[in-house]
Amino acid sequence: MKNGLNVRCILSKDTVLATDTEQAVYALVDIKAGSGTASGSMPANFSLVLDRSGSMDGEKMENLKEAVGYVVDHLSDNDLVSVTIFDDQVETLIPSQLAQNRHEIKAKLANVIARGGTQVSDGLKAGLAEVRKGLAKDRVNRILLLTDGQTWDDEDACLKLSEEAGKQGIAITSIGIGDEWNEKLLLQLAEQSRGNSHWIQNPISILDVFQQEVEGMQAVAAMNLRVTARMSRGVKPYKVYVTAPMIVDVSSKAVNNSTVMTELGSLDGKKGQSLLIEARIPAQKTGQFRIGQVEVTYDIPSQGITGRTVKTDLFVALTKDAAAATKVNAEVMNLVEKVSAFKLQTRALTEAAAGNIAAATQKLQSAATVLLNLGEEDLAEAAEREILSLKRTGALTSAGTKKLEYGTRKLTQVMTQAIK
Amino acid sequence: MKCTACQMENIDGALFCEECGAKLEAVTFGKDAADEMSNEIATLMLTSSDGSMLEIPAKDEVVIGREDPISDVFPDLDLTELGGMDKGVSRKHAVIHRSGPNYTVEDMGSTNGTYINKKKLRPHTPQTIKPGDELRFGKLALMLQAA
Repeated sequence: MKNGLNVRCILSKDTVLATDTEQAVYALVDIKAGSGTASGSMPANFSLVLDRSGSMDGEKMENLKEAVGYVVDHLSDNDLVSVTIFDDQVETLIPSQLAQNRHEIKAKLANVIARGGTQVSDGLKAGLAEVRKGLAKDRVNRILLLTDGQTWDDEDACLKLSEEAGKQGIAITSIGIGDEWNEKLLLQLAEQSRGNSHWIQNPISILDVFQQEVEGMQAVAAMNLRVTARMSRGVKPYKVYVTAPMIVDVSSKAVNNSTVMTELGSLDGKKGQSLLIEARIPAQKTGQFRIGQVEVTYDIPSQGITGRTVKTDLFVALTKDAAAATKVNAEVMNLVEKVSAFKLQTRALTEAAAGNIAAATQKLQSAATVLLNLGEEDLAEAAEREILSLKRTGALTSAGTKKLEYGTRKLTQVMTQAIK
Repeated sequence: MKCTACQMENIDGALFCEECGAKLEAVTFGKDAADEMSNEIATLMLTSSDGSMLEIPAKDEVVIGREDPISDVFPDLDLTELGGMDKGVSRKHAVIHRSGPNYTVEDMGSTNGTYINKKKLRPHTPQTIKPGDELRFGKLALMLQAA
């Protein structure tokens, strides 16, 4: 299909054993920009929401100013930009405007000094108001939120704002610097709005992340991406994971009886997007069985494409030949293993938070083994270190928790460890 | 299906144990024309962390390295643009062999080595690769994907 997206639907196994019980199957829905799709033809509507609290003083603030300078220099004249800074007060430093007065924007930023506490929700609210001024279907609407501190008792207000943002097609990329911030909150803000999240250990990497973000916006190839899977009678969708830009379990929102429906926001034309669906098929006799149909819908505003749909039917063959049923698709298997590591890590952290040290230790041990199998020695070691921390202090370390939370979510990305 | 590692009972067809993450059954990897229900023919490509994509040419042997006209080295896949010089990619670093639907990668005695999923390859010893694998040439990591 010219100028459209390239959609592949792949099962973990094309052939499974015909048994008298229900069984699990995994389907990968992989979406990439087709060869004729131009990336980067959609202007941005970009809002920077930046923490200027006292703890940002010094190296963090210097690197932040440099990174914002990079953003301003690399946006097109056609892009909209705004800058909101917050501590326990909020200031809209640059109201939403075309990214043309580059010197003026940088000069205003140069005068910012670090001070005060951290109140994320007020900053987010003001930043959201700026992005809404330029909200348009043919723009890539995005907020970049950067903080280095625990916000003060306003997590719920933050989550409400990210939910609203998500509904309006505004993705929030959340960035935490150092170890003193709430990763659960920042990850949720990103997940709810279909954005990305980053953990930065060294302020030097602020520039890398801002650069990635600008490049990501400029690589958007399609908008309003939605995947709907309608299963055949008796087939039960069980779990659904979005895998880019990080692994997110969307099962609770996406699965409704025999249908899976999930909004995926914009498609990064360079990186693509994929969805992993785990379903249960009923006991079947030998022969071909239609699991269901996957439908991918999207818009490409720059080409006047709205609501284009690609449909793919999913079939599996059932056999009594045990040898034929051992053949697995390597790409799907690899993804399922990564998701498995993510799930074990999530359960370990949940158990630890609930004070169930023995269960948390066991899950971390399992996660470490899976991570080693995946060749992720660094993350496996991090899990081992947290097991020791649990033994010694009965709690996980803040840095270790962040490493595991971000590391396992980004197993699907190439070398995100470059950001350290 | 019982997990041999932790004895947990899993649903038939599950690939990994829900309780401990162990692989549940011996599997073979296969991929033939019928394996994919696609609306475009798949080829393999390498993706870098910045999103750059390099299509692996449809040849039986694809040399990967860094172009150097002075030494008359022109690899099929030139990694210079991806920072190959700084990341320690040799001029003739590795070769990808294709045999029907199967691919292998072989390190050509490079200075900084070739890795599959962070495991270093012995020079001149081809190893099977598949979509989803991470290939590393020196310090340059690339993801192998079906296009």
